[in-house]
Amino acid sequence: MASPSRTYMVATDVGGTCTDTIVFADGEPVRLGKSLSTPPNFADGVLDSIRDAARSMGMTLEDLLARTKLFVHGSTVVDNTVLTRDGARTGLITTAGFEDTLLVTRGAYGRWSGLSEDRIKHPVRTERAPALVDADRIVGVAERTDYKGAVLLPLEEAEAERAVRALLDKGVEAIAVAFLWSFYNPRNEQMVRDVARRLAPDVYCTLSSDLAPVPGEYERTSTTVINAYAGRITRAYLDSLSRLLVATGYDGPLMVMQGYGGLLPAAEAAERSIGMLECGPAAGVIGSRALGRLLDQPDVIATDMGGTTFKVSVIQNGEIEYAREPMVDRFHYAQPKIEVVSIGAGGGSIVSLEPGSGAPRVGPRSAGSRPGPVCYGLGGTEPTLTDVFMLIGYMDPGTFLGGSMRLDREGAKRAFDEKIARPLGLSTEEAAFGVYRVACAQITDLIHEITVERGLDPRDFTLHAFGGSCGMVAGIFGAELNVKRLVIPYTASVNCAFGLVSADIVHEYSTTRVLPAGTPAEDVNAIYAPMVARALKDLAAEGFAGDRVGLEWSVDLRYMRQVHEVQTPVRAATPLDTAGMERLVGDFEALYERKYGKGSAYREAGIEMTMFRLTARGLMERPRLEPAAPGGSDASAALTGRRPIFVEAAGGFRDADIYDFGRLAPGNVVRGPAVIHTPITTIVVQAGQRGTIDPYRNVIVDFD
Amino acid sequence: MDPITFSIIRHRLFRVVEEAVITLKHVSGSAITNEGHDLMVSLYRADGSLLMGGVGFLHHLTSASEACKAIIRRFEGDIEEGDIFLLNDPYTAALHTSDIYLVSPIHHEGRLIAWSACFVHVFDIGAMNPGGFAPDAQDIFTEGFSSPGIKVVSRGRLRQDVWDTILNMVRGPEMVALDLRSMIACNNVARERMLALVQKYGVETVDEACRLLIEQSERRLRERLTELPDGRWQSRQYLEAKGETYRVVLTMTKEADRLIFDFTGSSPQSPYSVNCTKWASLGGLFAPLFPLLCYDIVWNEGVIKPITMIAPEGSIVNCTRPAPVSVATVGAIQSVNNAACATIGKLLAASERYAEEATSVWHANHFAIFMFGRNQRGGLSIGILTETFAGAGGARTFADGVDVGGEIPNPISRMANVETIEATFPIRYLFRRRLVDSGGPGLYRGGTGMELAIVPHDAPDGGLHYVISGKGAKFPQSDGLGGGLPGAPNDYVWVHTPAEGADAGRFALALDAMPGEKQPVAWGVYPLMGKDGLYVRWNGGGGIGDPLAREPAAVAKDVVTGAVSTEAAAAVYGVELAGTAVDVAGTERRRTAARRWRLGREAAE
Repeated sequence: MASPSRTYMVATDVGGTCTDTIVFADGEPVRLGKSLSTPPNFADGVLDSIRDAARSMGMTLEDLLARTKLFVHGSTVVDNTVLTRDGARTGLITTAGFEDTLLVTRGAYGRWSGLSEDRIKHPVRTERAPALVDADRIVGVAERTDYKGAVLLPLEEAEAERAVRALLDKGVEAIAVAFLWSFYNPRNEQMVRDVARRLAPDVYCTLSSDLAPVPGEYERTSTTVINAYAGRITRAYLDSLSRLLVATGYDGPLMVMQGYGGLLPAAEAAERSIGMLECGPAAGVIGSRALGRLLDQPDVIATDMGGTTFKVSVIQNGEIEYAREPMVDRFHYAQPKIEVVSIGAGGGSIVSLEPGSGAPRVGPRSAGSRPGPVCYGLGGTEPTLTDVFMLIGYMDPGTFLGGSMRLDREGAKRAFDEKIARPLGLSTEEAAFGVYRVACAQITDLIHEITVERGLDPRDFTLHAFGGSCGMVAGIFGAELNVKRLVIPYTASVNCAFGLVSADIVHEYSTTRVLPAGTPAEDVNAIYAPMVARALKDLAAEGFAGDRVGLEWSVDLRYMRQVHEVQTPVRAATPLDTAGMERLVGDFEALYERKYGKGSAYREAGIEMTMFRLTARGLMERPRLEPAAPGGSDASAALTGRRPIFVEAAGGFRDADIYDFGRLAPGNVVRGPAVIHTPITTIVVQAGQRGTIDPYRNVIVDFD
Repeated sequence: MDPITFSIIRHRLFRVVEEAVITLKHVSGSAITNEGHDLMVSLYRADGSLLMGGVGFLHHLTSASEACKAIIRRFEGDIEEGDIFLLNDPYTAALHTSDIYLVSPIHHEGRLIAWSACFVHVFDIGAMNPGGFAPDAQDIFTEGFSSPGIKVVSRGRLRQDVWDTILNMVRGPEMVALDLRSMIACNNVARERMLALVQKYGVETVDEACRLLIEQSERRLRERLTELPDGRWQSRQYLEAKGETYRVVLTMTKEADRLIFDFTGSSPQSPYSVNCTKWASLGGLFAPLFPLLCYDIVWNEGVIKPITMIAPEGSIVNCTRPAPVSVATVGAIQSVNNAACATIGKLLAASERYAEEATSVWHANHFAIFMFGRNQRGGLSIGILTETFAGAGGARTFADGVDVGGEIPNPISRMANVETIEATFPIRYLFRRRLVDSGGPGLYRGGTGMELAIVPHDAPDGGLHYVISGKGAKFPQSDGLGGGLPGAPNDYVWVHTPAEGADAGRFALALDAMPGEKQPVAWGVYPLMGKDGLYVRWNGGGGIGDPLAREPAAVAKDVVTGAVSTEAAAAVYGVELAGTAVDVAGTERRRTAARRWRLGREAAE
């Protein structure tokens, strides 16, 4: 166990632009660290970020790590490997006759999915992304299993050897194996792995039946290929990070975030590179859920607006939504992944006038962080949303990033006037208000669509606003969606890192089997028994037993002859009995109708179960956040001045109070119109809204 | 009107359609709607003119507009708040009986302000063949239930008598009920969201924005047409049914800011159900026009105004009642799609500015193969082979067509996984892969099509049957452009093995390896029983430019990746290979000889 001096929990999240750190210890304030990400050697940025947090604690990096008992990590390394096409030379072995499954992507699906509607409407200019495996590195073998898992044609060892050798001759470093129906009977796939191990022990070999035992050969094959492609880089990255941490004085466990929102020990994570995809945003959702629980408001719409994108996810009663068709870049994969929907609308999104109609629009092009918005003075010439924020008085040119960077208001105005205001025939102010409203309306529409997709009503939700820009727009779209209230969390700028320390060790197991809903409970229990045994063994190996283990069963059900499956949590005691089975079916019907709408259920056809899932948790220790005693509501001590800002209700500029977040105390109330500047973000409280600093230093915005 | 409000209202109108599509897919839950995206949702103005077309099967956008107008005429004085009307008569507005329209008026404070409309291909419509495509039909009366307009929901209340009557006429009434319910839910969402928009911005403002949107689309298309060269372009498409060959001939004339599509010269209507009505032809020519000419213009009435269609009455593209039309969507309508794509491609290619927007024909031949019979679990399965949605992209002037890239009239289709189909039907696939040499050769190659073979597997009745209406086996129809060759034709082969025959075909990897008598099939109902097999291959996209001008390295790569055979590389592209590398001298010799032969031939002609 950790020595008494090891008191800290450190979490670091590597994102595309920034690497964020958060440091917890019982009874101490939460500390934050931030640095730029350092691709391709991401591990360097990790240390920079921890060093930044250590500095704010008056410590060195080595001191902090020596006193750290747990290090939790999320990284964009796998996403980056795929995006930059920097993975291993990969080969694919598949069922003969179906060699093109990966390349053909179920037809046009791979050509249009992941594209915006504008691009979908312009098919002549669309392409399918070239596969991660070249066509001449795909080998078919004589083998066949049927829909029941019966092996119709066993794979001969010589045939497997021929295929492996053919790929080795082409210099492959990784082999993906994906056969039809292998998730029901992995025998033929396993034969290939045995042969590959014998012939080429250094080659990274992945079986679809291990990695993604789910129906749908295209998605399963694609998953397996991505895993093989990124496998070695992931392994090398985690190895080097571990070594670097140890060399810097840390000797505790290294836990790695997965896209489904749980942690795995680094050694296991290294074997499932696919699991790390999109793990940063997933951690953000976990963080939001933890915050929702802490504030006793478990229904959350979590929004995050950074430099290039606006992201949304929905948490209902603490339950997280999983993506139905996850993608990385333009590639599909089949793994449980927390659903996070994004559009290209961030602070760096370029504002332009649509040719032809002259209507203003925001994004999808982005100025990124270089050259960035015009007001950064780094060479940007196209006006961005950030420039608009400044023109409408929300950003203070003098206090950006704690005053470390002076913004060029005049330059932004010039560019905006020339490219937007004048062509529209409006004043700078009118045009800037308008563009701001357009951006807010686009976000409102997106959130509305996402909640409709899930059969939910935004009015039942609390809205969390994360990221550098979200605090400037949430007051508008939150009000229009009529959410209960807004929360701008204290950890808004490092939310993903916050999520890392809110997560548990999670293993996901699943068994595909199609059974009617009336199946006896003992048959279902028999499917679970081996999964439960394996889960307990896996968790025990990681040091979890007894009340530190949580097992959750869930079953995918559907109405026969319909395509929508609903993952339904088993709420009854397990193992199941007859009453428990009935409750499961009842819960499914209620969930289905909620999600797909009244009248969507086709009960006459009968109900069937298609997949049995087990989520096994090793419950992690949580930092105890100490609420501060709330003080009085008077916020005047933090008032730094007044300046005119755009006030939506007034349709123009009005004088607003300007506050310094650092001087606001729990219990203080700020009445809109007002602006609160933090070192990293800006929070706008619109007229008719009031912001309260809660005991955890979150800003809670209520509507009058 | 101020550009900000306009921009916000426009975006919200897009979203109204989007949310209605989501609702449609959710409630329907059927494979053809969810996998094939064989659906459409759009908004219409109070007079039925198209306001906002969504992405779906695009030949429905104008037909559903006509459906709204037909309801307005028929039900004048009897259109009330909360009503929903059903229309599926092809001679009134629909494409064929199984694509049912549900249209719903949207009232605000008692005044009709807009319409919403949607369609799905319903599970069955009671035609003489299951699934809606009826190759055996002799007239419209044998193609199932058809209505020129009937009120299904009256002031928000379902008319149970009408409902029960419709469901009494179809196979799988529960599934059809679900399809209808999905369309009702879809219209309800469109209405609620549209009313929310009106409540926020006021009915006058929204109306003004809608008027502007249409005006703007018209202005923008007219401007684009003005930029394009004047001229006349032609396309001739052939289609066959039951051994007979028909022609769809299109002459497209561009004059200043107008386009005229003239189908004079097309075949007289057929006794078989490949015909289409004039509304279907109109939809058929707009389906490629929207994405090819209006990719950055909102799809609404404004786009329709500059276009004129001439379709001779009694012809295969404007048949007269009671000619059968149930196969129209994969028959004459698709020929109209292809012809319009070809002529628009030629027009674009003739313009320096727009040449990169030109494309040769994508996926010219759908094949409707509806399998039906008892499945491995004892239930009834009826369903289309969704591979028909996996067409091939036509070549572009800057790049090859996308292999198995889909089609233009339905930009977001896809096919089901083999595992999904094998779990639902008592069949097994022997292979499903790209088809070598199917992409139309050219400087830029058309995308490849595919081939598949299926056999019965674990069928309680020993197999099942299928209704097939497939064209394109006789002639290649994915036309090339600018010297590019067409994509290869389709083929449908019934491999018939007597019960006592050899069983060597269980793991065959090619048609040649399947033992048994091979009989071409394209039209009617056939068995897939016992040791029968069904082989289908389908067309690639057309090529662009001279294949002899194609970069030899690109041809060599095509050979390595399996898109082109060594034989075709030599014979069609004039590229000699040494192993996988280009034999430069051999290629030069071959190409020179090929050019000489062409000159000689031209001199002789």
